Amino acid sequence: MTRARRPPLGRSLLRLFTVQGSWNYERLQGIGVGVAEEPLLRDLRAGENGAAYRAAVARGAHFFNAHPYLCGLAVGAAARAEHEGATPEQVERLRSALCGPLGSLGDRLVWAGWLPVTSALALIGVALGLGLDAVIGFLVVYNVGHVGLRWWALWAGWTHGVRVAVALHQPLLQRAAAWSGPAMALAVGMALPLSAGYLGGAFTGWAREVLAVATAAGCALLWWGRGRLTGLRYGLALLAVAALVGWLWR
Amino acid sequence: MSIVLYRVDDRLIHGQVIVGWGQPFHVGFIVLVDDAVRASDWEQDLYRMGVPPHIEVSFASIAEAAQRLPEWEADPRPGILLAGSIDTLAALSANSHRVKRINLGGIHHQPGRSQRLRYVYLSDSEAVKLKELAGQGIEITAQDVPTARPVPLEEFA
Amino acid sequence: MSLELQLVLLLWGTLVGLDLVSVPQMMIARPIVAGPIAGAMLGDLGAGLQLGVLFELFQYDVLPMGATRYPEYGPATVAAVSAAHGAAGALGLGLGALVGLVTAMLGGLSMYIVRRATARAVHAVTDRLEAGDARLLVRLHVSAIARDALRAAAVTAAGLGFAHLVRLFLAGTLPLRGVTLLGIAAVAAALAAATAGTLRVVGRGASLGWFVAGVLGGTVLVWLR
Repeated sequence: MTRARRPPLGRSLLRLFTVQGSWNYERLQGIGVGVAEEPLLRDLRAGENGAAYRAAVARGAHFFNAHPYLCGLAVGAAARAEHEGATPEQVERLRSALCGPLGSLGDRLVWAGWLPVTSALALIGVALGLGLDAVIGFLVVYNVGHVGLRWWALWAGWTHGVRVAVALHQPLLQRAAAWSGPAMALAVGMALPLSAGYLGGAFTGWAREVLAVATAAGCALLWWGRGRLTGLRYGLALLAVAALVGWLWR
Repeated sequence: MSIVLYRVDDRLIHGQVIVGWGQPFHVGFIVLVDDAVRASDWEQDLYRMGVPPHIEVSFASIAEAAQRLPEWEADPRPGILLAGSIDTLAALSANSHRVKRINLGGIHHQPGRSQRLRYVYLSDSEAVKLKELAGQGIEITAQDVPTARPVPLEEFA
Repeated sequence: MSLELQLVLLLWGTLVGLDLVSVPQMMIARPIVAGPIAGAMLGDLGAGLQLGVLFELFQYDVLPMGATRYPEYGPATVAAVSAAHGAAGALGLGLGALVGLVTAMLGGLSMYIVRRATARAVHAVTDRLEAGDARLLVRLHVSAIARDALRAAAVTAAGLGFAHLVRLFLAGTLPLRGVTLLGIAAVAAALAAATAGTLRVVGRGASLGWFVAGVLGGTVLVWLR
């Protein structure tokens, strides 16, 4: 068993900001996770001509996928397990078991929670006339949560090692996950009519009625046509129809 | 309502399952069928952490799942049954004859597998096994999230 | 638009494209950021905010999970603002949406190509990776980031080129009703995409009540204004 005196968590954190830079269909985030873990493994270079280090580096770059902001938890936990002499099978099992939960928790917390909440607040701000201030506010507030989560994940992973499930029991995390859904629904729900008012201000009379009908039809088509129709395809189709009707109805 | 999705996904419970499928189908329970996870308390603890409190999670071995399948199918709540490998769902369908549709949601790269879709890598023997299952009348499609097109087996195996 | 300004937009679009997945995911890739900053660079903050809001709504249709394929709205918004620059109201929305949606589709396709190329690069050195070659690991990672930067630059350049063509050949030729209908199409599609995308994530559980409360609250605010 070896133990880094001062683990280079800062260097690992910096690399974690690039964790998805080499995302690919074969190992998904594996290469990026391996790159982020490597500084934490350098103490293993001593002895056996660095065999333990090389084996741990190779394991660190195997297939992995989770929410990018929570990858640090797996990076820290796996590196700590390597230092504590866990067997290769234990480390592989730990990484593999962390993929799903960290993906699920992160997607609920961030992609379906913190990100749409803060972006919806920015939309509301712009619609209410705050302009660029709303945009800057979004960037600052969102990234306080973003950077905080990345740092906490790495620290918690390194602190708990193979007992990393303890970190995920953190009450604040569980409360945040529970509230992210309702908060997102409320914020985006509020942003929608305000954005409609902001963008629809350019239209009057019959144009507003056509806008309402096309929006309602789009909602229905996208809801029942999922798997075949996306927002982008609906947008392009509607633009083509609008251009055609516009030319004919001069 | 019973089980709305029989899914093979080597990451088991993750974001695509919980947010992608769980939310629009208003899923009330998830059954994770995996002999190794069934035997490991700490892994079960981890998987529970990724699931919101309103979704019940059960862990079962293949043998237990074959036995309890009728009970889950009679559940009034919509549910998802997840397995980490094709072998698991093949064994389950052989034992129960109740699995009529299989969704391939994520089978990733391993030595011996080749890429069939962005998120589906299969070995030749796995492809043959899927064709055998399809020959038994089971509808097999690949679809990672509900907004993607379901890809029929004959297009990739 | 001067060449210098086009180059500044190209640089911004590249940074935005790199931010989406690779480095550092601080969300300058969100249209609500990419658009207004591009607008400020062009001295047309109004167009930037308008297109930023429009494409932010489209963005709610996307959940970037696992190997899912999705459109890339960041560089697309930069190109859209370039197309809409100087064209007020419905015309700006319509032209911007046309350029932005085509560029977003191209961006999604380019990500797929780059990810496959990176997979091939990784596959080619599997043996050395399994031997724990840390230098190779880092080199592979850095070259993949460079590949993504090139991709983002190419997508932005294509979008800016398309925007230039649209401004040159389409902007002045549309009849008034055509302009209005294009604007309506852009806004209706964005609102529909945002609503359907959000409802898919909200589901039929307790959050649906919060969504309805939000819509009602937002509607009251619009009415009060």
